[in-house]
Amino acid sequence: MNGLVSAIAGLSRSQLVLRALIVLGPVVAVLAAGPAGRWPSWWLVAATLGLAGGFAAFPESPFGAAVLLLVLAWWTAGLDDGLHPAVLVTAAAVVVTHLAAILASYGPPEMPVDPALVWLWVRRGALVLLGVPVVWGLALVLRGEPEQPGIWVVGVAAGLVATVAAAVALTAGQPGED
Amino acid sequence: MSQADARWRPTGALGRAIVIAAVAVSGALLAGEPALVVLAVPFVACATLGLLHRPSRVPQLSSQLDHASLHEGQGTTSRLTVTDADDAEQLTRSFGRPPYVAMRPHDGQVGALLSGPDGPAPVVEISPRRWGRRFLGEEKVALMAPWAGYRFGPVALGGQQMRVLPTMAPYDSRADAPHPVGLVGAHRSQRPGSGTELAGIRPFAPGDRLRRVNWRVSLRSRELHVVSTRAEEDTGVLLVVDALADHGAGGGVDRAASSLDLSVRAASAIAEHHVRAGDRVALRVVGRGRELVGYGTGSRHLRRLQHTLAGVRPGEIAESEAGVLQLGVTGGTVVILLSPMLAESIGAVAATLTRRGVPVLVVDTLPADVRPGVAEGTDPELAALAWRMRSLERTAVLQRLGGLGCPVVAWRGPGTVDDVLRRLARRAAQPRVVAR
Repeated sequence: MNGLVSAIAGLSRSQLVLRALIVLGPVVAVLAAGPAGRWPSWWLVAATLGLAGGFAAFPESPFGAAVLLLVLAWWTAGLDDGLHPAVLVTAAAVVVTHLAAILASYGPPEMPVDPALVWLWVRRGALVLLGVPVVWGLALVLRGEPEQPGIWVVGVAAGLVATVAAAVALTAGQPGED
Repeated sequence: MSQADARWRPTGALGRAIVIAAVAVSGALLAGEPALVVLAVPFVACATLGLLHRPSRVPQLSSQLDHASLHEGQGTTSRLTVTDADDAEQLTRSFGRPPYVAMRPHDGQVGALLSGPDGPAPVVEISPRRWGRRFLGEEKVALMAPWAGYRFGPVALGGQQMRVLPTMAPYDSRADAPHPVGLVGAHRSQRPGSGTELAGIRPFAPGDRLRRVNWRVSLRSRELHVVSTRAEEDTGVLLVVDALADHGAGGGVDRAASSLDLSVRAASAIAEHHVRAGDRVALRVVGRGRELVGYGTGSRHLRRLQHTLAGVRPGEIAESEAGVLQLGVTGGTVVILLSPMLAESIGAVAATLTRRGVPVLVVDTLPADVRPGVAEGTDPELAALAWRMRSLERTAVLQRLGGLGCPVVAWRGPGTVDDVLRRLARRAAQPRVVAR
């Protein structure tokens, strides 16, 4: 307990704000399902909070992927209408969490975050969020349309190709590597 | 990670974005849930942009300090040179936290966007706060690619071992040395010579220079008279630093000082003053290192003295060598002993030298508010009692030294030894019987 308190006390103010956003983002994303018709159970919120806490403590760790996947799972399994406007709030919350973790991982916890860097990522966040309402609107428009034959096969193939391409890019030899 | 092993690696953020994007899109396709596509859009964008900015060049990093030698309290700047960093967007410097070293900004944790491929990296100011051996400038440097997809490092860059010299106190004594015996110098000697200090007016004698004739007195007395002066000579100063133990907590140049802090700073200030006055100064450290610097003068010798003082480490002398200290003091030398006067051997050597007629000045460097360090498991009351007894013994030793004619003064900074040296000089001019 003392270690946790001293670790938090060692954080710079900007890092403290970032860690708070990392904790709050997934919780807000899960709770946003409430207005869409289904409030999450307490254990789900507790699990989200626990994973988000781990993510805040270790922004580079797999806690991040785990807590965001939990949010996605809740939106897939928990709701009848996933395209409720509250999904926009969830999208914004998970993006804020992701970007806060990126900013927190630029240096040691004691290092204050450069305001110019924060401003850069605010603009980038706004840029990547621009696609969300567009896709959401497109999904609303296409919701009533009949399915095209083979659309799922094409989708799965595209997903696989993207995954393979990403894997190749990540594991390819880096500059300076023998 | 050394610079040779460093390379660009994917970040956790990129991996997270790819996993979320892949799972969300796959889940949307498999479950027929378009909301997942909506949630996946930002992550697809982040992952794609991160991958697109994959770096291709290996940056080269090197850092250096602006100064090779520093006094405690002075500062230097650590500058980082980055080349081939076209693919990097941001740079982070994280310095270690060696004791008694202050850094700014943000205690040496600094990050900034790079303004260009070889643009200036953020600089860090480093200031050692206490004399001694310090390792300055050790740091880790990391570079981040645009969209935080790849990170280079952190690369460990070695620092620089530096002997931080004691602070330069503005010390300027005007007191004469008790026994000047050299050929040239700034101290007024007891014997006549070609100095500037007036000794008297006497009748002309063969060999006197004509420019010494005092015409006013000669006219009045109708006999040639000349002005006689005292010779000006240098003196030998032996600084003895007691490093047998360090009492009190030394917090740095602007905080509380330990006994060794006071001894080293006082020795440095006195050495600087006497060397600048043209005196021959020697240094003897009584302690584990047994450092010894012979008599010498000049700025290079002063540098040597300060370097030796900066390397002093407290510690007992080996059992076999812990007998009566032999300082090798010769005639015409002033011994300035800087000690907390808690070791028996130091008191003994001061008394012996005083009995021999050597002018000895003891500078008491025990801090006023010092408390004994108590080992774990020791009864605090027992420790307090032992400390009280030790303090009483110390007081008795100081009184006995005073009775022998050895002045003891507490170091109060510049001017501490002026009055005592003046009194020693006056006493040296009087005839006295010494024990041999």
